[in-house]
Amino acid sequence: MFRFTQLNRFIARPVGQFVRMNSTNHKINTESFVFKYLQEGPKAVKFTSEHEWLALHEDDTGFLGITKYASEALGDATFIELPEVGDKFEAGESIGSVESVKSASEIYLPVGGEVVAINDVLESNPQLINEDPMGEGWIIQVKLNDPSLEGVELLSEEEYESSLHEA
Amino acid sequence: MLRTVRHNSTSFLIRTPLYKSHVKYGAKFVPYAGFEMPILYKGLSHIDSHKWVRSKVGLFDVSHMLQHTFTGRYAVSVLQKMTPIDLSGLSPNTSSLSVLLNETGGIIDDCIITKVTEGEYYMVTNAGCREKDLAFINSTLADYDDVNHSIFESTLLAIQGPKAAEILSKYSSYDLSKLKFGAMVRTGINSLISSQIQISRTGYTGEDGFELSIPSSSKDEIQESNEFFQSLVDEQPDVVQPIGLAARDSLRLEAGMCLYGNDLTEEITPVEASLTWLIPKTRRNVTDSQKFNGYDRIIQQINDKKSVPRRRIGITTTGPAPRSGSKIFDTQSGEEVGVVTSGLLSPILGHNVGQAYIDKKVKIGASVDVEVRGKKRPGIVAKLPFIQNNFYK
Repeated sequence: MFRFTQLNRFIARPVGQFVRMNSTNHKINTESFVFKYLQEGPKAVKFTSEHEWLALHEDDTGFLGITKYASEALGDATFIELPEVGDKFEAGESIGSVESVKSASEIYLPVGGEVVAINDVLESNPQLINEDPMGEGWIIQVKLNDPSLEGVELLSEEEYESSLHEA
Repeated sequence: MLRTVRHNSTSFLIRTPLYKSHVKYGAKFVPYAGFEMPILYKGLSHIDSHKWVRSKVGLFDVSHMLQHTFTGRYAVSVLQKMTPIDLSGLSPNTSSLSVLLNETGGIIDDCIITKVTEGEYYMVTNAGCREKDLAFINSTLADYDDVNHSIFESTLLAIQGPKAAEILSKYSSYDLSKLKFGAMVRTGINSLISSQIQISRTGYTGEDGFELSIPSSSKDEIQESNEFFQSLVDEQPDVVQPIGLAARDSLRLEAGMCLYGNDLTEEITPVEASLTWLIPKTRRNVTDSQKFNGYDRIIQQINDKKSVPRRRIGITTTGPAPRSGSKIFDTQSGEEVGVVTSGLLSPILGHNVGQAYIDKKVKIGASVDVEVRGKKRPGIVAKLPFIQNNFYK
């Protein structure tokens, strides 16, 4: 997400100026489907500098969502545009968008893969992405083209959070 | 992208007299037109803020807007050269929306002009147009003797919402029921403010409400205006809350009001902007010396409606919201017929609303497609406003 597209020049993005995160804010909700999808939980959770998270499971699939930081910066989500199951994306492609009243932000998939599930609850209840961005507010599940993640630059939770403090 | 939008020049932004009150209520600030302005306050999201103003009372700090006074023998001549307003048709202490026009009838800015007396006029213009407005006004003034133009800054506070009169009447000895939409009064207010203030029944939300100009040139005056602002909130927190720029934009859009820079530009005339009503009949057939800027073109557009292919109108859509620049296509023919100038999800209606310039052959109710993020989304041409204005008339 969050190459924030400034679509209306009335308002400059407030982001970064007011969202102050404590550390340990960016954990996957252990009660959510993202965590419970496989019994053992995700084997790794990675982040992008554009505020997406990717929870990787043993079956070479990953869940993609936006971080708590991003969801707070966005404010009330009003519309989530989802891809369709079966859509294939290259690493770095936009898979959809998250909108608030005033802005629209693209969601980027940091790894290549095929969409195996979409969270269509978001179509009727976009605010789920505010309520539980790192759990029930997941956006898509993808089957990774290359589970080794070779050549993919992703951040650990610590790296992601320290990048927020630098911002 | 998040990182690139950081504004490191925050220290150079101007703070309004109410800054410390914004901090008290947990404002999130953004740079806007050179000012550090609240966009949201703690505890109310954009949608919460919007609905609050439609049902209760919101306080908006609009001190960043530029206030002007025109006096002198030729004040009327100058104002009627720059704008199509008919000041002789305005009673003392009443105001009207108008537009500053360039030589070709394009809109330099929109403004509110108040006739204080036959010899004194008060005008408010947009903060974002400050420099170009002043250059334009000064160049016009060069052709006139005996006009005094001054600009001033004060606390400019908008009190908006269906309960605005009920709240303000607790502070005002002046009988607000006598103050109709567009009217202005200079009066004292309760003990919190020692100087006289100016109350105008006007606003930018579509709700009943007031704009108060409160002198704030000294430390004491700034303190008083902050105490007044805080008293409005703290004495009735269930009714009155401060509201930021985010909801200001969605409220005005639902109310069908224009945002300069989006819906109005120097390339657009008031006729194209569906603002022909800003040119009173008394100003449409006048001698050369009485003509306002762009007169010939604007009168020609009024008289020959076919010469204006597009007009400003509403649009509703589903899916992602239409945004400024989204292209509009005729659903049947696929022909490009217009462009969106502002759009968002209406917090009250629950669907997307926008203002757009669309070919006149596409009528209200017609189906169109709006291109958002590379895909065409179904929409319908709609009349403005989306929410009926609730002015006290």
